[in-house]
Formats: sequence, C-alpha cells, structure tokens
Amino acid sequence: MNKKEFLGRLSELIKDIPEEEKKDILFDYEEHFRIGLEKGRKEEEIAASLGDPKVIAKQSRASCILKEAEKTTSVNNLMRAIFAAVGLGFFNLVIVLGPAMGLIGILVALFASAFAITISGVAILFGTILGPLFVFDIYIPLTSIVSIPLGIGLTALGLLSIIGALYLTKFFYKLSIGYLKMNLQIITNRRNTR
Amino acid sequence: MNIQFKKGVLELCVLSMLERKVCYGYELVNEISKSISISEGTIYPLLRRLKSEEFVTTYLQESQEGPPRKYHKLTALGRKKEGELKKEWFTFAKDVNNFLKGSGKNE
Repeated sequence: MNKKEFLGRLSELIKDIPEEEKKDILFDYEEHFRIGLEKGRKEEEIAASLGDPKVIAKQSRASCILKEAEKTTSVNNLMRAIFAAVGLGFFNLVIVLGPAMGLIGILVALFASAFAITISGVAILFGTILGPLFVFDIYIPLTSIVSIPLGIGLTALGLLSIIGALYLTKFFYKLSIGYLKMNLQIITNRRNTR
Repeated sequence: MNIQFKKGVLELCVLSMLERKVCYGYELVNEISKSISISEGTIYPLLRRLKSEEFVTTYLQESQEGPPRKYHKLTALGRKKEGELKKEWFTFAKDVNNFLKGSGKNE
C-alpha cells in the first residue's frame, strides 16, 4: 500500500464523522508520511509500519462518536457510540452489548408499566364519572366513593412513574457514556500493543 | 515481549516522552517504536485521546524542511498524570520483581 492508497482507505473508513475531525485525523497521517519520506523511507514501508487503516479507523471513529454523544444528548448518538464500541472486537460484543440490552430492557419495562398504570387510572376515573351516561354498561365493581379516589391516585402514580422513568433514562445515558469511555481506554490500550 | 505486559503501558511511555521534550507525532512514534514494538498508526488515536482529556495540547510550528508540523506539549494536568502513572508503574514493577525473586528461593 502506498501513501495515497493508505490515506484513501482511511478517509473512506471514517467518512461518517464530522468533517473537521476527519481532516484533523488525516492531517496527522499525512504529516507522518511526509516526515518519513524526508527521512528517506519508502511510502510502502511507512504504510506497513503504521498498520491496518481499519484498526486506526475503528479507534478514531469510536472516540469521536462518543465525544458527540457526550456533547449532544440523543438516543441516536448513544446507539452509534454503542455500535462503534461493539465494532472494536468480539470482547466488546459481550461487555458492551450485553449491559446495553439489559438497560434498554429495564427502561422499556418501566415505561410500559408507568403508561399502563396511568391509563388504568384514567379509565377507572372516567368510567365511574361517564359510565352512567353511556348506552353500554361499563362494569366497575366498586362504588364511586372508592373508584374516584382510586382513579385519581392511579393516574397520579402513573404520571409520577413516567417522570421517574425519564430521570432514570437520563441517568442511564450518563452512566453509559462513562462506561463507554472507560471501555474505550482499555480497548485502545489493548489494540495499541498488537 | 508479551502483549499483556505492554497493555496499558503505552500511555505512560507517550506521557513520559512528552515530559522530557515537546515532540511532533513522527518523532514520538519513532522514539517509542525503537524500544517497544507497536503498530505505529495507533499512537495517533492515543494522542488525540490524551488531547481530549486535556493532558496534552498541540500547536503548529514551521520547520526548516517544509510545511509546519504539529507539536504535542504536556499540560500541567498531563504532568501530574505522568507522575502518578510512573509512580504506580515503579511500585508495581518492584512488587513483581520481589515476588519473582521470593518464589525462586522457595522452590
């Protein structure tokens, strides 16, 4: 591989990261080639000792995407960071994707139950109040003295659970970023020694 | 040398080199790969990480031979980190040495 091929492959592999960051990365390798050539080395020789552009690209992408996810909170950014980290090797498939699936499962379950509680509260409340007005008989096996406070109570509990789940989502987000950062440090150090 | 031994030590080597002098990328890669066999390309992502963690700053400076080069300089935070890591390493190396010597005698 010569200089042009090496830089071309690298640039192709990191095309989805922000332009400025990409330019900065390519600048480093261009400089490396330039100085190497000044010292009398051959392009092919320099490219070979730099190693596989794929390995370099994976590392650069992962840390860059993680930086973005930290700056702008979005599920999409976090997902990209998780998948970039998973791409770093089989080891990560287990220690990143496993916990990520677990956390997502917990959040989905929490939101589902919070919504279910809210809806049941609303249903009991309105069922009691509006029930007599309907042509169809809505059967609520409670007297209105019990069911109205129960409906209000369940609605409030449901809404509070949704707010709680939202806070927990935020907390998990920060936690995931922290975990990915630590993971990236370990992985980068492992990779560097190959 | 065993891969496991080198794992994690590269960061210390980069910081330690920068503690001695301000370097451009090629110089750093060249010096380190003289002592430790590494895939040279991966030093740059490491440098970028050290920069984003504010252990290192970079600036461009003209060179006699051609276009400006990117120099890497240790920050106060980086200097502190280097000291900590170095101390940790020496303690660790001493403990391992003592252990190896000790277990040699017992056999």
